[in-house]
Amino acid sequence: MKKDPNKGYIALLGWSLNAIEAAENFDRRYVVVAPDWAEEYCQKHDIPHVSWNFERLNDRSLEIAETLKEMGVDVAIPLFEETVEWAGAINSLLLDSPRLYGQSLLLRDKALMKRRAQLGGIRVGIFEEAHDKADVIRFLKRVNQTLLKLDGDPNDPIHLKAFDKAGCLGHRVIRTPDEVDTIPDEEFPVLMESHLDGWEFAVEAWIHNGKIAFLNISEYVTLGYSVFVPASPELEKYRPQITAQIEKLIKAFDIEFGLIHPEYFVTSDGEMYFGEVAYRPPGFKVFELLERVYGFNAYQASMLVFDPKTTPEEVSAYFPKEVVDADGYAGCFGVYPRRRVVSKLEIPEEVEDDPYFESHELTPPLEETVTKRTAFGTHWGLIYFKGDEAARMKELLKHMEELDFYV
Amino acid sequence: MTTHRPTQDTSEPAGDDKLAGLLAKLDAAITLLTDSLDFAKPGKLPRVLDTARRVLLQEGGAAAVEARARALEEAGVFLGSDWETPQYLVPSLTTHALKSADPHTVVIEALSELRLLAVAKGEYLHPLVSAEQAHHYLTQVMALNLWLLFGAPSEAERETQGRLAQIPRHLFHHLAERIGYEHIIDKLIEEIWRILQQRPIQVEPVKQMVTQIAICQANPAIDLGTSGQGADRLVSSLFGPTQACREDPGVDVYRGRLSSMDSAALQGEATGFARAMHDTGLVSAYHPVLLRHLLDHGDHLLAEALGLSSTGRDCLLCYRELVHALIRGGVHPATPQAAYGLALMLERGILYQPPVAPAMWRQLGLSLSEWSQQRLNLTFGDAISPRARLLEGVLCMLGQPLGVGQGNNPTCQSARALSMWAYNDPDYLLQMVAWAARDDEIIMHFEGMPLSSMASLSGVAQTLPMDLDPVSLIVVPHLDRIYAEMGRRCIGREGDPHRWVNPEFHGWWSGRGFRINVDVATGQLQDLDTFLRHFYASYHPYYNGNQPLIHPQPAGIAVTDSAARFIGWHAITVLRVSLDPNDVMRAYFFNPNNDSGQDWGDGIKVSTAGKGERFGESSLPFEQFASRLYIFHYDPLERGELAQITQEELDRVTGYVHRSWGADRIPPMGLQADAGQEPNGN
Repeated sequence: MKKDPNKGYIALLGWSLNAIEAAENFDRRYVVVAPDWAEEYCQKHDIPHVSWNFERLNDRSLEIAETLKEMGVDVAIPLFEETVEWAGAINSLLLDSPRLYGQSLLLRDKALMKRRAQLGGIRVGIFEEAHDKADVIRFLKRVNQTLLKLDGDPNDPIHLKAFDKAGCLGHRVIRTPDEVDTIPDEEFPVLMESHLDGWEFAVEAWIHNGKIAFLNISEYVTLGYSVFVPASPELEKYRPQITAQIEKLIKAFDIEFGLIHPEYFVTSDGEMYFGEVAYRPPGFKVFELLERVYGFNAYQASMLVFDPKTTPEEVSAYFPKEVVDADGYAGCFGVYPRRRVVSKLEIPEEVEDDPYFESHELTPPLEETVTKRTAFGTHWGLIYFKGDEAARMKELLKHMEELDFYV
Repeated sequence: MTTHRPTQDTSEPAGDDKLAGLLAKLDAAITLLTDSLDFAKPGKLPRVLDTARRVLLQEGGAAAVEARARALEEAGVFLGSDWETPQYLVPSLTTHALKSADPHTVVIEALSELRLLAVAKGEYLHPLVSAEQAHHYLTQVMALNLWLLFGAPSEAERETQGRLAQIPRHLFHHLAERIGYEHIIDKLIEEIWRILQQRPIQVEPVKQMVTQIAICQANPAIDLGTSGQGADRLVSSLFGPTQACREDPGVDVYRGRLSSMDSAALQGEATGFARAMHDTGLVSAYHPVLLRHLLDHGDHLLAEALGLSSTGRDCLLCYRELVHALIRGGVHPATPQAAYGLALMLERGILYQPPVAPAMWRQLGLSLSEWSQQRLNLTFGDAISPRARLLEGVLCMLGQPLGVGQGNNPTCQSARALSMWAYNDPDYLLQMVAWAARDDEIIMHFEGMPLSSMASLSGVAQTLPMDLDPVSLIVVPHLDRIYAEMGRRCIGREGDPHRWVNPEFHGWWSGRGFRINVDVATGQLQDLDTFLRHFYASYHPYYNGNQPLIHPQPAGIAVTDSAARFIGWHAITVLRVSLDPNDVMRAYFFNPNNDSGQDWGDGIKVSTAGKGERFGESSLPFEQFASRLYIFHYDPLERGELAQITQEELDRVTGYVHRSWGADRIPPMGLQADAGQEPNGN
């Protein structure tokens, strides 16, 4: 698409073909900042590109910020968890706002993040950092004592998460002290949280000038397996409370612009508990789901709210009206092989013949033996559904968990 | 921006909600692909292919896809694949694609066929293929895959493809209805004859095609029009070659009829079978019944029934006991091809070589290892004992040394070796068979070091090959491992390992002298001129003192496709070089590929019949052959002067090389020298 020189010039941090395609079809100038293995591909396809290897921040980090500044880049957008603090560092220089770097560090560390949220008056579960297995056992005991459990009662589980990884990576559920032994030493330190029995959901909120421009609620049917948008009417009825929570979050983290992706629990008494927040596009292809129902491209939406040259009028004209403008429900399901040994991919006929079924991204198995899932693991691919009824979607996604896709 | 295409629903059954819903999804996916930028297309393609797959599973789906053929192609479905250039597509490759377990391969092949159908029907004016070309291509595809039209999915297909196996079938019914059955049958008959002229050992696929035609002819629902006339000889040679079995009465009935025949009637039967067998290379299951019956009726009739010439008859009479034993042990209604192998073996006179007859006696009494028995039973079924099955294989290989095929395996070297031994050193072949089948081990020597096939880790083939003749089935896995081990022993040596491996692997007669025209390190052409002059000096009768080639020699060729693009290196045997009936100097060679009639592009079409070829030989004019050659062997002691070939002739050969597999291998020097040369042909 023809680029408008009066609008912002945007750097995309990380390699995502979907993001590049969106940028190519948008009126902002852009450049992809990605490791050097992408260079040849970019040259072949005329994709503007700057080579950069995102290792840990070090004394060379200023170099990329200065390179981008010289090119006239206005703002950098992180596409992955690992590039969040890079964007913070780069934007603090590009936008001459040193606090952006500190903010990005807060958003990268799950323990710091929770403290800041707590300070901002947001409810969080009980959490603590663990440096070794003994810490985990102590925490598990204490949490269950707090819950007035007697010896022999089944424990309430606790959750362990890596400090700085996206989504379910490194996420484990621990119920008994025995299970603690299965955690490899190299995973420490980790963040431990009490388990909240409730309804978990995520939010994608585009923020411009410190205000919410668009707020989507993504409903998890089963965490780590399935999600759909927009949320069902039962969850959407909490929208005012959720909006209020997001506003608190914006204030607590002092967010002026960008896309945030927090996760919450709502307990049976209607109380919201904050889980975590990420300053990057969500996993599980929620962006694609949004495009399926609302028709707007979420990457372009992010470029819009990040761009300092964007006007409020442009923003309000861009976004559709939440829920009412959606033409149905779009959901996806992450497939994990259920058997220990698999030889081929076989989409069950009932899935293929379901009118809600749209497409899938599953590939044939590369190995016959399925690695035992530690923690939550990574799914082998997604299947997409779209349809008119939230209840049917929910039931369908739930049912998927009982099916074998790899046999 | 968005290209909305009108959906022509005329060919789609009305009221089919499911198909309509899927088509809406397909159209959406096509639109997404159309609108995406080139670099993003690969990401959008799976959704199109997957949705198309679901459409093709529906009744009427093929018609709906045909209506969208153009939109699909323009969206970029074929971009960057072989299907992008339909003018170069090879019909015989469709079989493999359609049988694939990978849904995307099956679907894209189906989409390509439907696109060409739209082109053939004049509904889609294609920039690269004409309607006639498309029509021609489709009839070939149909003929080659007739099994899809008439057969239900086999167990193997069900296992590998599952529901996917329905797609090729829906596709072919649609194609047949749109193109017409009569086009297919004639093409198929032509195709069968072309394959039979090469006299392959494995005739099962041909038999299946002939059976398909027979079924087709017998089905009153299929109107063949005037087509199919040429099929009579094929069908009768399998199902009723003689008076007494004309109506295909079944083996038992036929056996009963034989017992009441006088010698004149038996003579008639014998002549009928022999003629059918030698006409087609196919043997009817009734033929062994007669042969076994004739064992008690004198050798004259036996020779008649095998269609022997005076040479073969002499051999039969000399080795009467052995031949009788071979018929009793190896020629059964379940192994009819053994009769043809036996006849040709007798004609070759190889029983007169002292070790061959005793080696055949060993073969007759050979006890097979558990493993060999299992493999034979698994591949060929247990209608007959594994020993008889293997004996059939041995007879066929000795009778038709150039009928060996490598199947769908990367084991051209091993297939070539077997063929070479059967041709040149039959008792050595029999020794190999005995070791492999009885002992499960073959030991060959490489530069003085014994190499055991048991100790060698792996061969070129990743999995055990199954689609082979009985002898190859047993011996190839051993040879393949030894061959690969020999290659491993050469790791670290400079140059191409075939220099050392070929003579050690194939036999003493492979020349120890070795020439290659490709620099192994860079892949660039190297010394093409001297390479060619040397080849002419060693092999071309005009330049080597009119010396006919004495032993078959291994050689390496660069195989190219019909667009003259490089496909890969391939092992062949040079058999002889001589003038053809039109006084053109030709190289005659053996290609272990299953079908040697290949189009190598740039006007080079390998001939398999009609140019002086013997059964199983391939041939090319000498120049054209030289242009695809990259490795040959010679006797270093007989190396003469480099041939004084004229510059024009040399330029012609070099031109063929540079226009094909050598195009991107020309070293910088050569490029300048030939900068002014215009490619022609094509």
